[in-house]
Amino acid sequence: MTLSRRHFLAAGSAIAAAGLTGCGSRSSLGGSHELSMWTWVGSVNDDLIGQAEKSIPGYDGMKLAMTRIGSNYKTKVLTALAGKSLVPDIVAINDDVATYFPNADQFHDLNELGAKDLEKDFLPWKWKWGVTPEGKMMAYPMDTGPTALFYRTDVFEKAGIDIDPAAVAELAPDWDTYIALGKKVKQAVPGSSITDNITSIYSYRMAQQPKRYMTEDGQYIGDQDHVREAFDLAVRVVKEGLSANAQNGSTDADAVVTNGKLVVFNAAVWWAQLGPKNAAPKTKGLWRVTAAPGGAGNRGGSFLAITKYCKNPEAAFAFISWLESAKNQAQAFLDPVLFPSTPASYTDPKLSAPDPFFGGQKIVDVFAESAKKYPGAYFSPYDSIIGTPISNELINVETAGKNPDQAWADAQHQIERELTRAGAI
Amino acid sequence: MSVERIRTAVGHIVLMLGVLVSLFPFYWMVVMASNTTPDIFAYPPKLLIGSHLFENMGKVLDNVDFFGSMLLTLIASLGVTVLVLFFDSLAAFAFAKYEFPGRNFLFGLLLATFMIPAQLSLVPQFVTLAEFGWIGSLKALIIPGAANAFGIFWMRQYAKGAIPDELISAAKVDGAGFFRQYLTVGLPVLRPGLAFLGIFTFINVWNDYLWPLIVMTDPNRLTLQVALDQLNGIYGTDYSMVMAGALMSVIPLIGVFLIGARSFIADLAAGAMKF
Amino acid sequence: MAVTSKTAPAAVTRPSTTSEKPPNKYKQALPQYAAVSPFFILFAVFGAFPVLFSIWISFHSWDGIGQMKWVALEQYNYLLSDPTFWKAIGNTLIIWVLSTVPMLLLALVIANALHNATRFRTFYRIAYFIPNVTSVVAVTLVFGSIFSNNFGLLNAFLESIGVGKIEWLTQPWGIKIAIATIVTWRWVGYNAIIYLAGLQAISADVYEAAKVDGASSRQTFWRITVPMLRPVILFTAVTSTIGGLQIFTESRVLFGDTDNIGGPGDAGLTIVSYLYQSAFIKNQFGYGAAIGWALFILIVLFSIINWRLIGGNDDERLTRRAARRVERRIAAQNAKREAADVR
Repeated sequence: MTLSRRHFLAAGSAIAAAGLTGCGSRSSLGGSHELSMWTWVGSVNDDLIGQAEKSIPGYDGMKLAMTRIGSNYKTKVLTALAGKSLVPDIVAINDDVATYFPNADQFHDLNELGAKDLEKDFLPWKWKWGVTPEGKMMAYPMDTGPTALFYRTDVFEKAGIDIDPAAVAELAPDWDTYIALGKKVKQAVPGSSITDNITSIYSYRMAQQPKRYMTEDGQYIGDQDHVREAFDLAVRVVKEGLSANAQNGSTDADAVVTNGKLVVFNAAVWWAQLGPKNAAPKTKGLWRVTAAPGGAGNRGGSFLAITKYCKNPEAAFAFISWLESAKNQAQAFLDPVLFPSTPASYTDPKLSAPDPFFGGQKIVDVFAESAKKYPGAYFSPYDSIIGTPISNELINVETAGKNPDQAWADAQHQIERELTRAGAI
Repeated sequence: MSVERIRTAVGHIVLMLGVLVSLFPFYWMVVMASNTTPDIFAYPPKLLIGSHLFENMGKVLDNVDFFGSMLLTLIASLGVTVLVLFFDSLAAFAFAKYEFPGRNFLFGLLLATFMIPAQLSLVPQFVTLAEFGWIGSLKALIIPGAANAFGIFWMRQYAKGAIPDELISAAKVDGAGFFRQYLTVGLPVLRPGLAFLGIFTFINVWNDYLWPLIVMTDPNRLTLQVALDQLNGIYGTDYSMVMAGALMSVIPLIGVFLIGARSFIADLAAGAMKF
Repeated sequence: MAVTSKTAPAAVTRPSTTSEKPPNKYKQALPQYAAVSPFFILFAVFGAFPVLFSIWISFHSWDGIGQMKWVALEQYNYLLSDPTFWKAIGNTLIIWVLSTVPMLLLALVIANALHNATRFRTFYRIAYFIPNVTSVVAVTLVFGSIFSNNFGLLNAFLESIGVGKIEWLTQPWGIKIAIATIVTWRWVGYNAIIYLAGLQAISADVYEAAKVDGASSRQTFWRITVPMLRPVILFTAVTSTIGGLQIFTESRVLFGDTDNIGGPGDAGLTIVSYLYQSAFIKNQFGYGAAIGWALFILIVLFSIINWRLIGGNDDERLTRRAARRVERRIAAQNAKREAADVR
C-alpha cells in the first residue's frame, strides 16, 4: 500500500487550494429546520421559549434552538460575527444597540420583513433606538428599563416621612430635594444610603437626559454641561455620605440590599427583581415605588436582531414579532420581570395586578408613566468607549478619594485618546 | 561509607518532599471533588477524601456536555497527531537522508520560523480562518497545526542517526521510489521517535486553551479545556462540582502519559540536549 | 488508501556520479520537495501571511466585522502612552522573574539529587513530570481554590499557625505570587529532567578528577557542573523566557469570568491577556495586532539578553575551555597516579 507521487502532490495542492482560495462555507448555526438564537440568562420568558422550541408559532416546519450564554455575552456575539461562520440566526442585543450600527450590514432590515406595520404597537423612542441613522431597522424592541424611585416604608416611617407614593413624589421632585430627603433618612437610621455606589447616580442621572455623548451628526458633546452636571451630582452624593460604596460586580453589591443599607434608590424597573426580590426577600411588603426625582428615565432594556446569515429570515421574524407581541411581553413581565415596550401591555391584567412585594401597589402605573414620558436620547456607536473612562474615574473618586476635577480632566483626556484611536474625531 | 549513606538518605528525603509537592494538588483535587461544597468551605477544612465523588461528577454531566466536549477534543487531538506524525516524519526523512537543491536553505527557513511567537499572529490568523469559513469548526483546530517546525526538526535529528544509508541504497536498488523508501525503510526505523512526537503532540493539543477559546465560537461545541473554564465561570461557587470536572478532564490524559512515560521523558530530555 | 506504487523513474534520486548527463536536478528532487511542502504551505497560509497581514491590521481601527478604518500609526501611538499596556509588561516581567528564578534553581537542585539517586529513579522522574502534562486550566482551578481568600487551604493553614489570612487573589502581589506558583509548579519537573540529561552527559571522569583534586562538593558544583551545563541552562532559560512572556491561561482562568480579565486592579493582566482582551473582548483587532508586535519585539529582546547573559557568543568556547581544563587535570592526575603506581 503506497501513494504515488502524483496522488501525493494532488493531496498537497488540494490543501493549498483550500487554504489560498478561501472558498469556505458561510453558514448559520444549527440544523436546517432550526433557528438558532443566543441570549443571556434572564432575558426571556422560559415558557414562551419552550413553546417555540417545539414549533415556531405562525411558521410551520421551523423550531427554535436556544442557547443561554452565561458570561461574556457580547464578546461571544461579536467574535461569532467576526468569525463569519456558524453565526446564530437570532441574537439578543442590550441597550448598547447603537454600538452595532457600524456593522448594520451584518443584520437584516426588519422593515423589509414586515416590521413597519408593527411600529405603532411600540413606544416610539424605543423603536427609534433600533433604527440606524441611515433608516435601517436593525433591531427589534424587547423590554425597556423605565426608572422610578424605590423606597422602604419602614425606614421612611422611622424618619417621620409620609410613605404615600404621591406624597414622596411631591417631597422629592428633583435631585436637590432627594438628597435632602436622603439626609433626613440617614439621620433617623444611621448607615442608610440612597445609592449602591457613585456610578449608579451618574448613570441614572444620564438616563433622564434628552442627550448623551454625541450628536446625531457625530459631534462629541460628552464634555458639555449636561454630562458634567451628572458627574458633579454623583460626586456630591458621595461627599454627602449617601453612597453605600458597594461597587458593581463586587460581592457587596447584593449585601447592601440584604442588610438594609440601601433603603431608597432611583433605579430601573429590572432592579425590583435583581435587587430587593432576590437579595432581600424578607423585606416583602415594605417597598413602594413612585415617580423618580429629576423626571422620567430609562436604563437598560434589550433588542432582538436577525443576522444576515439567517437561514430563514421570514421564520425568524415571525418568531420575534410573536415573542415581543403585547400579550407575550405581558407574560415576560411576570417572569423574569421584563418591562414591556408595548404600551398595550400596560393594561393587561398580568401587569396591573397588585404586587404583594410592594404592599399591593400597582407598580406598573409608575413605570408606564416613566416609559411614556421618557424623552429618548440619542445613543451613538461610541457611547461605550466614552462612558467607560467616566465611570472608571468616578470609581476612583469614591474608592480612592481622587480629586473630582482631576478625575474629570483625566476622563476627558482618556476619551479623546480613545476616540482618536477609533477614528471617531 | 556511612557518610555516603547519610547523603543518599538526605537526597531521597529532598526528592520525596519534592514528589509530595508535585503530587499534592492532585490529591487536593480529589479531596475537593469528593466532598460537598459546604464541607470545603468549612473551617478547619476537610483534608480527607469524601464520599460524594459520583454525585459531583453527575452534576458536571448535568451542566455541561462533558462527553461531547471530550469527543471533540479527542478528535482534534488525534487528528492533529496523525497529520503531524505523517507530515513531519516525511519531511524529516527527506531533510535527513536526501540531497536536493535548496535543502539547507529550506531547513534554515524552517528553523527561523521558531522565532515567531504564536500570539503575534493571533488576530490575523483568526481573520484568515474567518475568510475560509472555518471558525467554529474542527478544521480550525486541526489544519493549522497539521505540520510543525519543532516536529520536523526533532524527527530529522532522530532520523539522521537512526536510519542507515545502506538500507536506503538497498531500497533504491530494488527500484523503490521515494515514498516507498519512506514507508519501507523510514517509518519502521522511526517508530520510537514517532511514539514520542505523537504523545507530545497529543498532550499539547488536548491541553491547548487560547486557540480553541478563540476559534470555537459555538457554545455547544467547546473543547474540554474551554468547557471546564466555562463550568467554572458559570458555577464557580460550586467548588466540588468544578473540581470533579477538572478531575474528569485530567484523568484520560494522565493515562495516556503514563503508558509511554518512561521513554517519553528520556526522549524529551535527549531532544533538548540537541538544541 | 490503496494506490499502485508505480513511481516514475525520475523520482528515484541517484548519486550524481552515476550518469554523465544528469537529468534536471530540480525535477529529480520533486518527491523531496513534495515531502517537505506541507509544512511550508501551512506556514505560508497560517504563519507568514498572518504575520504580514497583522502589520496591515495594526495600521487600522477595526472591530473585525465592519469596515477597516486607516489610522496610520495611531495604534502604536496609543500603545506607547497606554498605562495599561505598560502595566501588563510590568506584571508579565514580575511574574516571569517570580516563577523562572525559583523554578530553575529548584530544578537544578532536584536534578542534582536525581543524578545521585540510584533507586526509584523512574518513579521520581514520572512524579516530577506529571504536573507538566496536566492541563493549565485544571491546575489553575486547583491552585485558585488553594489560594482562595476566604476558603483557601493556604489561608486555613496560615490562620491555624497564627499568621492570619492573606488576600492572595485581590492584592497585587498575592495575585502575582499565585500565578508564579502555578507556573513554577508546572515547570520545575520538566526543567529538572532536562538538567538531569545534561548532568548525565558529563563524563564521570571529570568528577573523578575533581575528587582527586580535593574539590569540595560545592566547588565541584559551581566550577564544573554549572559551566558544563551552560548550554542546557541556556536552553531552559530561553524556553522559559519565551513561555513566561506568553503567560495567559493562569490569569484568564483565575479572573476570566468578568470582562476584567486581569483581576482586581489589573494586577494579573499579562501582555497576552491584554492582547486577548483588546482583540477579542473589546473587538479592537487593530490594537490587538499592535500589541502582538510589541510582544514579538520583547521576546526577541529578551532572547538576546539571555544569550548574552548565560551563553554569549563565546558560549561554545567557554564550554570547550572548561572541558579542556578538565582534560588537562585528568591527564595530570593520571600522570600522578602512574607515578604513584610506579613508586
